[in-house]
Amino acid sequence: MDSVEGLTAVAPTGAPAPSPYVRADLYDFLFRDYTADLDFYLAAARAARGPVLDLGCGTGRVLLRALAAGIDMDGLDASAEMLDRLRANARARGLDPRVTLGDMRAFRLERRYACVMIPFNAWAHNLTTDDQLGTLRSCREHLEPGGRLVFDAFSATPAMIATPVAEPVLELEAAHPETGSLMRLYDGRRLDVAAQTQHSMIEIHEVPAGGGETRVHRFETLVRWVYPSEMELLLRLAGFARWTITGGFDDRPVAEHQGSIVVSAFTEGG
Amino acid sequence: METKDIEAYVDPEVYDLYYSWLTDDIAFYVARAKEARGPVLEAGCGTGRVLIPTLQAGVDIDGLDIHPGMVDKLKRKAAAIGLSPAVTVGDMRDFTMPRRYALITIPFRAFQHLLTTADQVAALRCIREHLEEGGALVFNVFFPSLEKLAQPDGEQALDMEFPHPESGLPVAMYSTRTTDRPNQVVAIEREVVESDARGYAAKTHRDRFRMRWIWKPEMELLLGAAGFARWSVQGGFDGRPLDNDAPEMVWTAWKD
Repeated sequence: MDSVEGLTAVAPTGAPAPSPYVRADLYDFLFRDYTADLDFYLAAARAARGPVLDLGCGTGRVLLRALAAGIDMDGLDASAEMLDRLRANARARGLDPRVTLGDMRAFRLERRYACVMIPFNAWAHNLTTDDQLGTLRSCREHLEPGGRLVFDAFSATPAMIATPVAEPVLELEAAHPETGSLMRLYDGRRLDVAAQTQHSMIEIHEVPAGGGETRVHRFETLVRWVYPSEMELLLRLAGFARWTITGGFDDRPVAEHQGSIVVSAFTEGG
Repeated sequence: METKDIEAYVDPEVYDLYYSWLTDDIAFYVARAKEARGPVLEAGCGTGRVLIPTLQAGVDIDGLDIHPGMVDKLKRKAAAIGLSPAVTVGDMRDFTMPRRYALITIPFRAFQHLLTTADQVAALRCIREHLEEGGALVFNVFFPSLEKLAQPDGEQALDMEFPHPESGLPVAMYSTRTTDRPNQVVAIEREVVESDARGYAAKTHRDRFRMRWIWKPEMELLLGAAGFARWSVQGGFDGRPLDNDAPEMVWTAWKD
């Protein structure tokens, strides 16, 4: 682990830093090789035997792989920058995705889907109960009878709650595929246990390959976690007929989750 | 869950000893009851720790509790000071009272004996039906302690020591907790040890019960599911805001 001295002063006292999604290029370089959830979501998409919608499709990490595998998958994302990047990535691979700029809390698409998925904790951007219910209801309305909503959701563990402030740590290191710069992602967190929100202060350091000054990009995010019982209440209020909640992509029991729960909820019928 | 599944809870004869030190909520609930513009119902009234002082303050208050032994004890304590309150043995998830109330209270975490979402919503709905238009439900539950949640299961811990209300001799309360985190249920095995004048353990009381903890956004979902339209929450009986260090969540929910 690299030294992170001086990084505790990351959180500026002035205006908040922007969302990382405005720098879709950096996001894409850092996360496009994240694969821990891919088998799970691609298997869910295949098992659906019908059209699939990827909510929060971002730069296409899951969606473009699905299209390349012959899966009928559409995408929706709230960030124009991320969708631009997705389209550029698609062109480079000769793919023609159907993606829409929209809000997962209140979207309207023509098609109905056998499966709606929200990979990579995009769900946690729903900060209020109303946001959460809006998203779940919008998903339910876009599912065919017997359709499946599947997503992973941040759920704080007792250990996280017991240490609500975490100083910035190096989370990820990758070479920039175009410039060769070393990119380092540092993430510091502050939990508000009553509000169930996590404020992350993110720095991406670009260390030029041939030496020279490190460029520092600062971002902030606010995400909300959900407890398993609370999730069940939300699913019930949103009108889902049945559901299962596990503790990870490996189907471990929810009691053994390590900070993320995996929800499968089904609509009536089918 | 049927009424028969409600746990035995604490022996009514020693309940008042266990909680003799607990007084900060009494002033709060008596004040809320005096402000109410109509009759008051206390659900989970137990042996009358809060209900009897409220009666003594001149409030028209009825009581409801699922444990006949607790209700008997309350009636005997009230009779000893010349009071005869209307207290009923009943289940807060499914009760029918002839009156409608301006205020219904559930003091001292009694709501947390409801162990499932279905029980919680049933109780809140039944309570809401017994409120007058504009009436309020006021209740408190513990705010999950960050330290206790991270503690390992099955280790006995000294919760507190306090003087016996009559003899003044030390009483120690120990708890062994086992948590079921997905279901948010903590099982508590408790030992209350009364010391004699020489400091030796003279009498040990044992009981066990379970409580469900509730998070703030979850409680808002429950209140909404039960038909309440408006609510507020504080972090203690002194009206402090609910923050990460708050010991208690004190809720008020209104029927419009």
